[in-house]
Amino acid sequence: MSAGAKEHAGARRRVLPRVPVVERAAVTVAVAMVLLAAVGPLIAPHDPYAVDLSRSLLPPSGDHWFGTDVSGRDVLSRVLSGARITLPATMIVIVTAALIGTVVGTVAALGGKVVDEVLMRVTDIGLSLPSIILALGLAAALGSGLRSAVIALSLTWWPGYARLVRTLVRDVKDAEYVDAARMLGVSRTRLVLRHILPNALNTLYVQTTLDVAAVMLVISGLSFVGVGAQVPSPEWGAMIAAAAGDLTGGWWAVAFPGLAIMLTAISFNLLGDWLRVRNDPTIREGAGR
Amino acid sequence: MARFLLRRLVTSVVVLAGLAVVTFLMTQVLPGDPARTAAGRNATAEQVARARTELGLDRPLWEQFTGYLDRLLHGDLGVSVFTQRPVLDDIAAMLPSSVELVLAAMAINVVVAVPLGVYAAYRRGGPSDVAARLVALLGAAVPVFWLGLMLQLVFAAQLRLLPLTGQLAFGQDVPRITGMTSLDALLGGNPAAFGDALLHLVLPALTLAASFVAVVARTVRSSMITTLDSDYITLARATGASELRVVVRHGLRNAMVPASTILGMQLGWMLGSTVLVESIFGRTGIGAHAVAAVLQNDLYTVIGTVLVIGVVFVVANIAVDLVQLWLNPRLRRTRRRTGEPAVPALAGVKP
Repeated sequence: MSAGAKEHAGARRRVLPRVPVVERAAVTVAVAMVLLAAVGPLIAPHDPYAVDLSRSLLPPSGDHWFGTDVSGRDVLSRVLSGARITLPATMIVIVTAALIGTVVGTVAALGGKVVDEVLMRVTDIGLSLPSIILALGLAAALGSGLRSAVIALSLTWWPGYARLVRTLVRDVKDAEYVDAARMLGVSRTRLVLRHILPNALNTLYVQTTLDVAAVMLVISGLSFVGVGAQVPSPEWGAMIAAAAGDLTGGWWAVAFPGLAIMLTAISFNLLGDWLRVRNDPTIREGAGR
Repeated sequence: MARFLLRRLVTSVVVLAGLAVVTFLMTQVLPGDPARTAAGRNATAEQVARARTELGLDRPLWEQFTGYLDRLLHGDLGVSVFTQRPVLDDIAAMLPSSVELVLAAMAINVVVAVPLGVYAAYRRGGPSDVAARLVALLGAAVPVFWLGLMLQLVFAAQLRLLPLTGQLAFGQDVPRITGMTSLDALLGGNPAAFGDALLHLVLPALTLAASFVAVVARTVRSSMITTLDSDYITLARATGASELRVVVRHGLRNAMVPASTILGMQLGWMLGSTVLVESIFGRTGIGAHAVAAVLQNDLYTVIGTVLVIGVVFVVANIAVDLVQLWLNPRLRRTRRRTGEPAVPALAGVKP
């Protein structure tokens, strides 16, 4: 192929982005999971909370696709309802952490040397501990429950965003259009909110997408060890914890919630990777992938 | 170099001080009555009142904090409401077993991830590259606790190849010397118990290693790609060195510099992840201990665990820096501008 033809093909791709097969599947699953979080309980074939001890630990069948748990509850219905617990909790953590991180990172980038130094040392503390451990301690102090887990995790997850936003803001703060706006007499607040942040943050969503899987794993992990969502909540980690005791007699009650976590995590990771590559031509052309 | 080290030490002290503040806030400011928490869920009114004076909760907050800091510096992390023993003693008794598990997981991590990363880089786009990408994809998405249960189901319950839980088979006994079961069996001159302890380590260590393998394999792969494309590799090939020698002696040695940073930091992360692994496999250790403490509302033990893991993590980071200085002479000469670690993107290292 001649160089010209290649360029032409590249140009056409940019007009109509060609989504690779794997990534298309990932986007589909990620979107499906978000949809499930909205309508999951509505399409659940059984009541996810209905206890029926006569139907305890039934293996997967036509009536119960994913089998039943030890209390006779339909695992499929619970996995479907669980999407409504795990995914929103994850989103809340990420949005809160990104907000805190954006404020801290922006202040650090624009606030001068001393402020920067102090704030970055504070983020060091957060970054220098496994988040599951910090969150475990915080959630234990706050009292068990999904709300505690969400608060604890939000409070431990922001330092990563603060670091990232600080770098992003520093990259754009001396740009010519910012200088121009400043010289036009734009107020400081407006300068930050309208000129710096929108340009600095337009890549932040890549990191937030990549974080969905990680946050979800920690939330379900916290629920698994007992500081997050409590039984009988169909949160996926709590479901696994509740079924772990009957592992050999009812593997399906453990396997399916875990598969749901994994499938969601994989699809969000693929989605994030794809967004990252699409956003960064140096990776696309370089040795990555 | 001295400047770099000094700066890292200062940062570590700041981190530790911050950790003290955070854990102090956990005991004091968060909702709930700390005296009641300290005295335990079923304490009587007198016990709560006694705990209040003992903890100095009737004094101003600043005084309470200096008192707390003073106790921390003397190794006093409080008394567990559950075991009625000093928190630090309990943790010290648990730590060796967790270290044993972490070291076993680290061994698996290195043995699997490094060759996988190297081969994926060497045969870019080939089947091993696809395998490496698949491992990375699964490793970053699998819930460790679930993986542990599934491994138990398949290898212990169904195939009966490996023990389900515990650290030693029933009837085996080893003297407690180091607290690491396998090492104690060896020191006690009991090879059968040693083999048994190793068998008991396989599944938990695999579970713990799973999410870390992905990160290491990816790092080794990408730094290996950069290294293999460099001029000195071409030169090494031109001198007629064997392919194995070129890849391992010239390539891997240089590519391991960034990977070693990540491996060092992973030691700390792995210690944190024992929280999710140990209790599944019925192992004693700091992770299982912390989980039990959470369920028993034993807040001082939980906070003590957070502190100990934090300290281990900071010490491990200093050790990583020293190894880096030794591995990479360039770091010794160039004065780093900010004193930040050689691998800045910590966020990507989180399992």
